[in-house]
Amino acid sequence: MQFQNSKRKTYRIMDRRTALKKTALAAGSAALVPSLFSLLQSCQQQARLSWEPIFLTIDQAELVSTLADTLLPKTETPGALDMKVDMFIDMVFAKLFDKTAQDAMIAEMNEFDALCAEKFGGKFAELDAQDRKEFLKQQESVSPKYNGKVWGTAVGVQEPVGFYRTFKSLALWGYFSSEEIGKNVLNYDPIPGKYLGCIPLQDVGNSWSL
Amino acid sequence: MANYNIDAKKNMTYDAIVIGSGISGGWAAKELCEGGLKTLVLERGRIVEHVIDYPTMNNDPWDLELRGALGPEDLKKHPIGARAGFVGANNEHFYANDLENPYTEVKPFLWVRGHQMGGRSMLWGKQCYRWSDLDFAANATDGHGVDWPIRYKDIEEWYTYVEKFAGISGQALGLPQLPDSHFLPPMELNCVEKDIKSRIEKEFPGRVMTIGRVAHLTEPLNGRGQCQFRNRCDRGCPYGAYFSSNAVTLPAANATGNLTIRPYSIVNSLIYDEEKGKATGVRIIDAETNEHMEYYAKIIFCNASALSTTQILMNSTSGRFENGLGNDSGELGHNLMDHTYRVGAMGKIEGYEDKYYKGRRPNGIYIPRYVNIDEKTKTDKFVRGFGYQGGGGRANWGAGANQEDFGADFKDGLMKPGPWEFFITGFAECLPYHENQVTLDKENVDKWGQPTLAIDCEFKENEKAINRQIKADAVEMLEKAGVKDIVGFDNEHEPGYGIHEMGTARMGRDPKTSVLNATNQIHAVKNVFITDGACMTSSSCVNPSLTYMALTARAANHAISELKKKNL
Repeated sequence: MQFQNSKRKTYRIMDRRTALKKTALAAGSAALVPSLFSLLQSCQQQARLSWEPIFLTIDQAELVSTLADTLLPKTETPGALDMKVDMFIDMVFAKLFDKTAQDAMIAEMNEFDALCAEKFGGKFAELDAQDRKEFLKQQESVSPKYNGKVWGTAVGVQEPVGFYRTFKSLALWGYFSSEEIGKNVLNYDPIPGKYLGCIPLQDVGNSWSL
Repeated sequence: MANYNIDAKKNMTYDAIVIGSGISGGWAAKELCEGGLKTLVLERGRIVEHVIDYPTMNNDPWDLELRGALGPEDLKKHPIGARAGFVGANNEHFYANDLENPYTEVKPFLWVRGHQMGGRSMLWGKQCYRWSDLDFAANATDGHGVDWPIRYKDIEEWYTYVEKFAGISGQALGLPQLPDSHFLPPMELNCVEKDIKSRIEKEFPGRVMTIGRVAHLTEPLNGRGQCQFRNRCDRGCPYGAYFSSNAVTLPAANATGNLTIRPYSIVNSLIYDEEKGKATGVRIIDAETNEHMEYYAKIIFCNASALSTTQILMNSTSGRFENGLGNDSGELGHNLMDHTYRVGAMGKIEGYEDKYYKGRRPNGIYIPRYVNIDEKTKTDKFVRGFGYQGGGGRANWGAGANQEDFGADFKDGLMKPGPWEFFITGFAECLPYHENQVTLDKENVDKWGQPTLAIDCEFKENEKAINRQIKADAVEMLEKAGVKDIVGFDNEHEPGYGIHEMGTARMGRDPKTSVLNATNQIHAVKNVFITDGACMTSSSCVNPSLTYMALTARAANHAISELKKKNL
């Protein structure tokens, strides 16, 4: 079993605005030694994440974690962070996306955060829960949707759905294809043995996972 | 490898050579071996032993780092396979490396290949439908292409013969345009499919909806287990529940003691003996060592897949056959066909929220052809016809991406099945056009120095007219069946997408206009048999593999009989 809810450190939401102010003060106060400054910043940022990204920067990883958590929070069932969906998405960016797709994704992430800052005065990870929800509601209403699929292929011409819906789709994939959800939350039936075409839903409960 | 004799070196001469081990090659091997012929099967790829070589057959999504997706490095090997949309981490090893096997798309054409023992029988859709005389007489009736040299009565017993051994499940309907097979019990329709079936049949007299007819066992057969409804077929089935060469025909051939199978054997050309007026063997290139070798036999079955077989024949030139073996007619390489698909309609069904199903059925519904089947159903918009495949089921968490919602209730809601959805997609018959063709491209050679193929093929007005009706009828049927949020679609894909490429060495009555005779022999070289998709004279609108099986068994038994009579 990979689900070790208790072992995951609580995600710390940093006081980013304060941090920014300090940085600005520091930048204005003296001629900086860049390497020392980077080192300092890196240490500060590292402390804000409970996991080490293999592809994303710390800032980007914070966005991924907070966004996944807002989309799929912990309830009676595990949340996205319990299932390490943020780490999965970082790995997907690193290993599934080619360079072109990576560059496009990073650019879209930056735009997402820039828009967020424009509307709510801070990057997504810096917002409080209410502002995060408000921004995502806006994103939902403006993001294009996926076309229907037949045997895995979209019908018609699929327009780009943008960062938000792509990310949501990745988060759902990472969450629902995890072992804990697949085996212990949804109904796991690797060898059904037979096909029954019409049975009461209440005999099954949650969806089949495979 | 212990189970198969792969030591072809100790003997260079056989009674029969079979080129390729896919659906038709496996049947040729079985029939020829069981007929007592020492048979060499030449397979261009590796050995894939049933069960032993199915490494991904039990993978769950979380067993793979990328949960079943294919990373960019692996994806680079499959630009063609990926365009077809079916390649993933669990089946990638059964798709050919497209980079090592280039071809030229004069016009866009998808050529999906499976270069291993069993070929694409590991990957096929398993839908099995008999042809009728509507199909065999089609060319003669409307004047497109040449007449088939056979009719339904010539192949009927061979359909039954292969069905009894392969195992085809389905529902008998008694339709003249879609003759019933020898059936194992049908799979079940789910609640929504049953509902839509009854509404369509009520609203549209003459139209029928049935469960797909498929090469899956619904009860045990010859030691093979029945379908367990895992729907992981294209990774290889540990129960041998679906028909593949690996699970069914090659083990039967092997059991006779007459089979030798040589892997990594790319057939370059056939050897023609002008004095004897026969082919005496084949030239091969070992895919691993590049060694060139020759093997000899009394008869040769070409089952390399439609376009590969034609490529080999075109590359087999001699004083007698300057333009390719058996190409007196000039038709070799011409009349390439496929089926159109991904044109139809989809939508949501209200109700049945308290109903669900168990098992992942590797099958859907089928709506047999209902247009141009008699005077009453004749249309002036196009010739030939179409059928639909499709199916219904409940949406799962994947539908969450499009929902305008997120957060706690959203997440918990996705644990339950979503609305019922239903779709149908048409398969249109494609006409045999002389100008839809493949040619040998001697400028572009593969890594073994062989000329590659240039493919010049397109759908034309008749296919487009059929597709317009497919889409319109699909929307109308779903509307009348009470489906909501209907989306009609036509992806207007290139030929090859159906992975039913066929024709290019057609059967016919006249040697002047065809390559093969009524028993799949090259008119002028009777000891060469072509029974894969290359032999097809027209395309019908139904999936072709069952017909390849029947034609192969029929031709192989004819070959054995002719050999006994010393006619070959």
